[in-house]
Amino acid sequence: MVQEPMRQPQEATVPDRLARLRLELSTGEATALPVMPLGLTAVDSHLPGGGLVLGPPHEVTPADPCDGTAALAFALALCARRLSGVPGEALIAAAPGHPLPYGHGLADLGLDPRRLLLLEAAGDREVFRALEAALHAGCLAALIGLVGEGLPLKAGRRLQLAAEGAAPPLLIILRPAGPGPPNGAATRWSISSAPAAVDRFGGLHAPRWRARLERCRNGRGGSWLLEWDSAAHRLHLPERLADDAAAAGRACS
Amino acid sequence: MTRLRRAGLAPEEGPHAVAAVGPGGLRIVALDGPARAHGLRPGELLGRVRARVGVPLHIHPADPEAEAKALHRLCRWAMRYAPLVAPFGPAESCHGFYIDIEGASHLMGGERALLDDLAMRLARADVPARIALADTPGGAFALARCGAAGSLLVPSGETAAHLMALPVEALRLEREVSTGLRRLGLRRIGDVEALPRSGLARRFGLAPLLRLDQAIGRRPEPLAPLAETRTFSGARGFLDPIGRQEDVVAASRSLMDEIAPRLERAGLGACALRLTLHRVDGAMRALEIGLSRPERSPERIAALVSLRLERLGAGLDAGFGFETVELTVTSAETMSPRQGTLGGSGSGERIASLADTLAQRIGRRLVRLAPQDSHVPERAEGIVPWIAPARPYPADLPARPLVLFAKSEAARDVFATAPDGPPHRFRWRAREYRVARAEGPERIAPEWWRESGEPRDYYRIECEAGQRLWLYRDGPHGQERPATWYVHGMFP
Repeated sequence: MVQEPMRQPQEATVPDRLARLRLELSTGEATALPVMPLGLTAVDSHLPGGGLVLGPPHEVTPADPCDGTAALAFALALCARRLSGVPGEALIAAAPGHPLPYGHGLADLGLDPRRLLLLEAAGDREVFRALEAALHAGCLAALIGLVGEGLPLKAGRRLQLAAEGAAPPLLIILRPAGPGPPNGAATRWSISSAPAAVDRFGGLHAPRWRARLERCRNGRGGSWLLEWDSAAHRLHLPERLADDAAAAGRACS
Repeated sequence: MTRLRRAGLAPEEGPHAVAAVGPGGLRIVALDGPARAHGLRPGELLGRVRARVGVPLHIHPADPEAEAKALHRLCRWAMRYAPLVAPFGPAESCHGFYIDIEGASHLMGGERALLDDLAMRLARADVPARIALADTPGGAFALARCGAAGSLLVPSGETAAHLMALPVEALRLEREVSTGLRRLGLRRIGDVEALPRSGLARRFGLAPLLRLDQAIGRRPEPLAPLAETRTFSGARGFLDPIGRQEDVVAASRSLMDEIAPRLERAGLGACALRLTLHRVDGAMRALEIGLSRPERSPERIAALVSLRLERLGAGLDAGFGFETVELTVTSAETMSPRQGTLGGSGSGERIASLADTLAQRIGRRLVRLAPQDSHVPERAEGIVPWIAPARPYPADLPARPLVLFAKSEAARDVFATAPDGPPHRFRWRAREYRVARAEGPERIAPEWWRESGEPRDYYRIECEAGQRLWLYRDGPHGQERPATWYVHGMFP
């Protein structure tokens, strides 16, 4: 007798709640979050939402130990792209063992060293705590974390929770390693250096990176050959190989 | 002696003595109870004493520095009673301290209660002490040194009467003066007081008169207090000791509530604070809190204290709790009132608050890169605090690597076709690299005004796999001296 009035409203709400949940799922969480486009049509159209989702962390890992600089350059290039659009400063929190960027070399990536804040942490835990504090503060335009071990699920979830609302792009640079268990990261990029195009004069042409999208939440993986234009400070697909790269991207997925 | 015992350096039973170099050899400067019972006195020659005393005597070398430090610690501790604590100077043979409790005794429930509390705590800490309260520092010293044992309280206005019966040594005179007075039959302070002053001054100089006047209060005696200028500070005592983190944070917030208006009146903001926690057992814990910008908001300070305590975690050993929490502004800077009202709306202020949070939470400073005036790559850049004004980088420099190694790494097994050209292949970090393309050289000479060095020829090279390195050949090379190559950085 007592239970009757309690059960009735509950049963009435269940279909409603299901319907609401279905609606939420169909609209998709990817479209709900803002994104940062890379400025490459081929890559942006491949990514859910048309760019890197702002909020959850993105992993960038060198494909090989000697590709660490390429991975750092890729992350800094994305950071430079972000800083060119919004005011503010970027934070790089680094665990020991990761080299910090050299200010005189940042001009090639179109990054102003004066807009870069650095934090040398003693370990991965400190890096994650610093990034979390920076996300809570909400006063930075981009965040880059350089860690040694990797992104654990707990840290990834905490970062995602801290990034509620308008969040800056958050990139985590790791040591080379295979894709681990799910950890809350939206994408995982594996970057390696690639031979540049042959210059007419035998000099060094624009640097190229092979970017493999190893993991992508709500999307497919892919692989592209990217070229950095240090004059215009933007990424583009090398002209002659553009079709091949797109084909490779399709084949990988 | 007490210092040795507390440090656990004199554990065994039996007579202990501290000796120092004096006239005629090693002389005893301090003794413990058993040694006194054997008839030893301070000032005796150690050799004679050794011959006289039958039992083995434990001798410790005197360490004036450690003694001064121990006294300093004790004085710091005594600041719990009153802010003005002055350690004894050489005239008082450096074995004690004055506390000026004027206006502070009511906090402890009166003069008698304060003396009892001081005596009880010192006894509990195993520090033997003679305590006296009088109108003047000189009077208190005389009563403590030569008066009745235990803690002595002389009511206001009666100091002079109490002093008259004490021996002349209590006047803090030099040894020759006091012996001279004794030879003339002047054993008590009262005897000296009764004499005509001019004759005394002719015979012994002004010292006895000055000391006498200071003790009786006819002449003021300024103390040299220990403390720094603690104009902005507050302390709170707790009847029930507190141990929880939230309580400490709440106490700091309410202390800052008291300090903030004073800071505001002075137009200052705190740049560094010290939170001192006095534990029940007498141990003290000082936490330094640094701020990147002058600040006086109690909420902000409390948040930083909370972060700092969080970082300590179990490292903050509350023991049986803290009974006094003290917050002191150790460094203050001018702060315009507008800054406070804006309250962190600007980006710079939000970064400042983030920098403080990071400094308290993980103990790391936020920094930024800054160009330095040097053309040598490793000296051309430095790290400065984030708040330093950002200097622009020179724009006319040839290509520089994205990562520069702090110390260049040797490339081994270098094979070059042309003697002056870039290498063809080399080994670095246990890996073989084949050079596909190279650009260079760029010659960078050492700074002649520093140490002598060799000019370096830098090449940008691209390996077959696509990595780009910054190599240099160190110095000139020839038949008898093969070229040495180093990797100094990496390009994207």
